[in-house]
Amino acid sequence: MINTAIKHIRRAPYQALTAILIMTITFFVATLMIVIAYASSTTLKYYETKPQLIAYFKRDFKAEDVALVKSKLEADSRVENVRFVSQDEALEIYKQLEVNNPQVTEFVSSKILPPSYEFSAKDLNFTQDLINEIEELPSIEEVRFTASLGGKENLKEVVSRLTSISKNIRVGGAVTLTILLLSSLLVLLVIIGMRISTRRDEIEILQLIGATPGFIRGPFILEGVFYAVVGALLGWLLALLTTVYLSPSLVRFFQTVPFLPRDILALLSLFGIILAGEVLLAIILGTAGSFVAIKRYLKI
Amino acid sequence: MIKFDSATKKYGSTLALDDVSFEIGEGEFVFITGHSGAGKTTLIRLLLREVSPTSGKVLIEGRDIKSLKSSDIPQYRRKLGVIFQDFKLLHDRTVYENVKIATEIDGRTTQEEEKKVKKALDEVGMISKSNLFPRQLSGGEVQRTVIARVLVQEPKIILADEPTGNLDPQTARQIVDLLDNAAKEGVTVLMATHNADIVDALKHRVIHLKEGKVESDKAKGKYEKND
Repeated sequence: MINTAIKHIRRAPYQALTAILIMTITFFVATLMIVIAYASSTTLKYYETKPQLIAYFKRDFKAEDVALVKSKLEADSRVENVRFVSQDEALEIYKQLEVNNPQVTEFVSSKILPPSYEFSAKDLNFTQDLINEIEELPSIEEVRFTASLGGKENLKEVVSRLTSISKNIRVGGAVTLTILLLSSLLVLLVIIGMRISTRRDEIEILQLIGATPGFIRGPFILEGVFYAVVGALLGWLLALLTTVYLSPSLVRFFQTVPFLPRDILALLSLFGIILAGEVLLAIILGTAGSFVAIKRYLKI
Repeated sequence: MIKFDSATKKYGSTLALDDVSFEIGEGEFVFITGHSGAGKTTLIRLLLREVSPTSGKVLIEGRDIKSLKSSDIPQYRRKLGVIFQDFKLLHDRTVYENVKIATEIDGRTTQEEEKKVKKALDEVGMISKSNLFPRQLSGGEVQRTVIARVLVQEPKIILADEPTGNLDPQTARQIVDLLDNAAKEGVTVLMATHNADIVDALKHRVIHLKEGKVESDKAKGKYEKND
């Protein structure tokens, strides 16, 4: 059966190339879409989990105020990663930020910098409410949002932008993929249908000598699966090479945001999981395409 | 082995076989004669279960083949060896592969089966041409390859529809001799033919059809030229 399928493929190489090319494009785009969706998800997670909010104490703060704010933050289920930044630590941070202006930092003492609490919201949607609530505490001067995509003024925009970027990538990816998968299915259907039409005599002979429908259909199913799996492997490989090629530029652009795994083994594991899923999808796609063609053109 | 019991077959309003009844025993060699359109091919197609009788019955080994489920038909056809005038070989396979396919469809691919393929090719005198493709063979060689495929199937019945139609008299005789040998080994052979010389020479039973009816059924018959 496998030999027969190989013969079918070798007898019409241009049809085989067309099918494989379409499948390669589909799985190339699919792999890139999955990688982009993964990157957007990890980027969003990064912003969601890094300290995003800083609550600055007033100048006349007391030690018990610090304990009160700490207990309030730690008791809040929407909050995580609570960390106290003392005045001395605040000075160190300030010095690092102004490392190119030593004259300025020279005159700054820790006394003028307020202590603060850094903390994260578990979900970016909670941030606006948290800012409002913490700012109402009497010892707190103000609460600032630290995400690099915007300041306190456009906080809602930042939150909705990050969420909508991620959502759009997923929805857009799903729509594009659906269109590509349907096109691939149609191409497979047409090519397997052509194969069946050109092998009518052979099918008739096989029927006459007692071949079962499974024996006759088998090579056509295998052929469809072969095109889909080869296309999946090539598309995946191209996407992997593209990602590796673009990685240095992307790292420069995203800087500290770990949008993709940084070490090669973790990156390869991610691509390995994608490959496994795509090969499975290819088998399903190839079988489905051939099966529909057989139902349509091979009535035995 | 084969029994036609008042079998009638209509294609729309055209009557192809009309109330045909006869029986053929195991190992018998029977010629089916008659002019074109007399019903010979319909008779073969009924036995192949390509079509079913409009009325009446066709029984093989006592079983009405109309009652076969479609999933049982491949298994049933493996009991039959089929030979056609237009040969029906797979053109992209060698002689050896064309014969071997009869074992492959049954899932039999053991060394034992390969020996049977070689033996069958040897019997029909095609072993030296095993690696050639059908387009590289003469008409007689192609038909001998078909017979080798049939022999590998080890059928109980051989159905031959004008197997000598495209062959010269000498080659035609060689082909019929191969079928005759099979009959001598217990295989039932039913051969539809126009070849009067062969029918007259072999002196086997002849069932003559005319306009879908059995006109005559004679043991050691002769070809009826004036129907």
